[in-house]
Amino acid sequence: MTVDSRAEALPRRAVSRRVARQKQAILLVSRVWSWIFLAIMVVFFSIEGTGFFTVRNSQNILVAIVPVLLMGLGQTFVIIAAGIDLSVGWVMGLSSVVSALVIRDLADGGMAVGLAILIGFVAGVGSAALAGLLNGVIIAKLKVPPFIVTLGVSFIARGAAFLLSGGNVVGGQPQALRDLGNEALLYLQRGDETRLYFLKKPDVTGAQLRMLDRILPWPVVIAFVLVLIAMFILHRTQFGRHTYAIGGNKEATKRAGVPVDRLTILLYVMSAVTAGFAGVLYTARFSGGSSIAGDALMMSSIAAVIIGGVSMFGGEGRVSGTVLGALVIAVLQTGLIMMAVEPFWQYVIVGIIIILAVLMDQARDLIIGRAEAE
Amino acid sequence: MFKKLLLVAIVLALAIPLAVPATAQDDKPTIGFLPGVLDPFYQVMEIGVNAAAADFGVEVFLPQYPSTWGPSAQTPILEAMVARGDLDYIILAPVDKEQMIAPLQAAVDAGIKIITVDTFLGDGDYINGPVTFPISYIGSDNVEGGRIAGYALAERLGGKGKVYVQNTNVGVSTTEQRGQGFIEAISEFPDMELIGMDYNLDDASTSAAQTSAVIQREPELAGIFGVNVFSALGAGNAVKNAGLGGAIEVIAFDATKEAIENLNLGVVSMVIAQKPYDMGYLAVEFAFADWRGVTSLPRRVTTGYAVITAENVNDPEVARFIYQVP
Amino acid sequence: MEPMLSVKNLTKRFGGLTAVNQVSMDVHPGEVVGLVGDNGAGKSTLIKMVSGVYQPNDGEIFFEGKRVHISKPSDARELGIETIYQDLALAGNLDVGANIFLGREHKRKYLGGVVRVLDNKFMQNQSEKLLDDLDVHIPSLMQKIDKLSGGQRQAVAIARALYWNARLMIMDEPTNNLGVAQQGEVLALIRRLRDQGVPVIVISHTIRDIFAVSDRIVVLHRGRKVADKRVAETSTEEIVQYIMGARDDFRNN
Repeated sequence: MTVDSRAEALPRRAVSRRVARQKQAILLVSRVWSWIFLAIMVVFFSIEGTGFFTVRNSQNILVAIVPVLLMGLGQTFVIIAAGIDLSVGWVMGLSSVVSALVIRDLADGGMAVGLAILIGFVAGVGSAALAGLLNGVIIAKLKVPPFIVTLGVSFIARGAAFLLSGGNVVGGQPQALRDLGNEALLYLQRGDETRLYFLKKPDVTGAQLRMLDRILPWPVVIAFVLVLIAMFILHRTQFGRHTYAIGGNKEATKRAGVPVDRLTILLYVMSAVTAGFAGVLYTARFSGGSSIAGDALMMSSIAAVIIGGVSMFGGEGRVSGTVLGALVIAVLQTGLIMMAVEPFWQYVIVGIIIILAVLMDQARDLIIGRAEAE
Repeated sequence: MFKKLLLVAIVLALAIPLAVPATAQDDKPTIGFLPGVLDPFYQVMEIGVNAAAADFGVEVFLPQYPSTWGPSAQTPILEAMVARGDLDYIILAPVDKEQMIAPLQAAVDAGIKIITVDTFLGDGDYINGPVTFPISYIGSDNVEGGRIAGYALAERLGGKGKVYVQNTNVGVSTTEQRGQGFIEAISEFPDMELIGMDYNLDDASTSAAQTSAVIQREPELAGIFGVNVFSALGAGNAVKNAGLGGAIEVIAFDATKEAIENLNLGVVSMVIAQKPYDMGYLAVEFAFADWRGVTSLPRRVTTGYAVITAENVNDPEVARFIYQVP
Repeated sequence: MEPMLSVKNLTKRFGGLTAVNQVSMDVHPGEVVGLVGDNGAGKSTLIKMVSGVYQPNDGEIFFEGKRVHISKPSDARELGIETIYQDLALAGNLDVGANIFLGREHKRKYLGGVVRVLDNKFMQNQSEKLLDDLDVHIPSLMQKIDKLSGGQRQAVAIARALYWNARLMIMDEPTNNLGVAQQGEVLALIRRLRDQGVPVIVISHTIRDIFAVSDRIVVLHRGRKVADKRVAETSTEEIVQYIMGARDDFRNN
């Protein structure tokens, strides 16, 4: 017996072939349009903006995407599993405050700076993980919709951050922390003699200092490592496969014996942990813990995920897409500044891109035709 | 696979130093201006900046107003300005006296000189303090401004009563100092009591909400001090909405249209106007002078106040300090 | 021949409603049993007790002669009772191999067991073999299965059940939503399963299909068994009468 894959073949072959080709074309466009858009933007801004296509600016962009990208990483997992996490922005603030408090108090108390920073980071990420645990447990066990739960937990996180910090920025951080947040893996010394320095910032002043560019600041390196880890987990492990499965058909996954509740909790903890990393990196970069650190970023993280092609219906998407989405937003923001265009255009354009992304998502959806609920 | 290659290609392309940043022309400085947030105070400052730019024939570049008050919003704009490579000076109002030090140090390292307006870095003493790289700090004496508000309120209340302060953020030098000055002044009156100071994070609706709550729970509240544009706006609205205009004395800092309206309505009894026009104008002038080789620029310039009340609001000499934005 | 599955006096109540009322039936190896009845007759509830989704209020279940307690779906699966529901319980966004191995993925260990990576190659190869054994041809195993036809998806669901050593297969409305040609293919698959020694309980509304594939037919009406006849000994009209409640062979039970 042969089950013919063209079991739905129609007598009018020519028409169906052309329709099929159109569908293929739309599918292809829907997958690569973000990339093309990004490439066009880079070219456009390089020509129209001053100083866009430079080492310094490229690094600025990479640094700018760190918080959005990190939060987008966790968000990617959660959205693929057909959930959503609205708490990432304010959890980032909580993590920033907690890490700053711990680092300051430990360092003031005489502990070795490196150890204090490490413990502070763990504390910050840990506080975020608690928020994620709260999210996950309520969503998985009490069956409350993620939208509502994460919104509620975000308020709790924000309140906790304000209470802990007294509404202030938590300052008094050791210099080593500021270095971690702002120093880089490589330095490029331009000028008469172009040299690349590895790990150690050259001690120069004046004109030479002006020509010194940092390449791959530590926050970018850390984010890069986390992106690689996320890619590995999502695409190569059983956990990642189950994440897709939950998003594709939660009931089926449950019936297959996968511990869906436990995985759901883990997913929301992961999402909060990435927000936690974003928070501690903020503390390092600005030498201070701030409750409002992640305020504008929650929406951007979701936008990055959508622009990157992760479907809001769940079940589809890749980490590389989220990286792309974060890049698109950052390139757009920076480019508009370089061109001295009014910032309001930035909002309009990002809004248009998001709608386009969702439209592409829906077009893809229609063409493929979701057939699980049969 | 193709997609991965494309991503790598784009990231590499961003990292290749194909373009050396443009160098500025030698006879005139190119100046960048970065305000704290979008509000009438900074818009008037921009008018001053542009007037000086026209008078001195220099180019001043304002890329964007930060959308919210905070390092997260201001730093990317600052870094983009630095990356342009063509700026000699940046005039800015730092949104946090600690957190903006690192990004501004990076700008200085890149060869850009900094002039701070309205808010200072570190402790404001650029000669002996922890931060010394800015050329100058041009702004109001905010402690004095707070004191003026405190004494004025005390006088209007006859030296007794309960008072409340609407403040913005801790860590912002200007507003912190106004609160400080106000509290100092009030403490000289034993029959006056400060029942609280709340932080609205420079958001008018938060300010209104907080003030409304306080009005509810403190029926004996006699006076409120709003330390800046949004604080005064929110506090004024709350008092108006509670129908207590005239019953509670409100002192507002920053002479926006709304504050003056409230003054005319009797909701606000005094508006303390800063001189942002002066700050902006002087900052550009200092940059130009520094460019021309002047080395005796004062590291601290204190701009003054105009105190506006119902009595003098129509006097053109006073009314010119109202923040008129075209 | 001893029955593989034997349920005796199985009863299930939901509040005041008795969905299944003292039903007993046997399934022998190499047999296809058709389970029919009108809506609400209790067919789904009955098999859900066998597959562990529901707990019976009364009665016993015997598997291969031994009394068993099936308190959750994994208990049933461990015994070798595999159920394929109407919605197939497949994840449309995953490929054939991923679906067949869902929940029981094969991994390769690296770094001394710390890192466990999906062994996609192994799973793909096994899936290919399984489908070949069932004589099912799917051109690309790497496609997401929501691109396959209804019949192909059925085949994947069956292949999955088989891989996990199904001893008894239960299929709930397998020909629903399928085109005519595909219905025939699925019925042929069911017969092939039986020939391989796996007995099948088939629930269906379509009497014609039941007659095409079953050896025996059990009819439920309002929770009670009203008929248990070999296909050769009955006819469509008769079965319809049992379904409507016009006939009842066990009236005084």
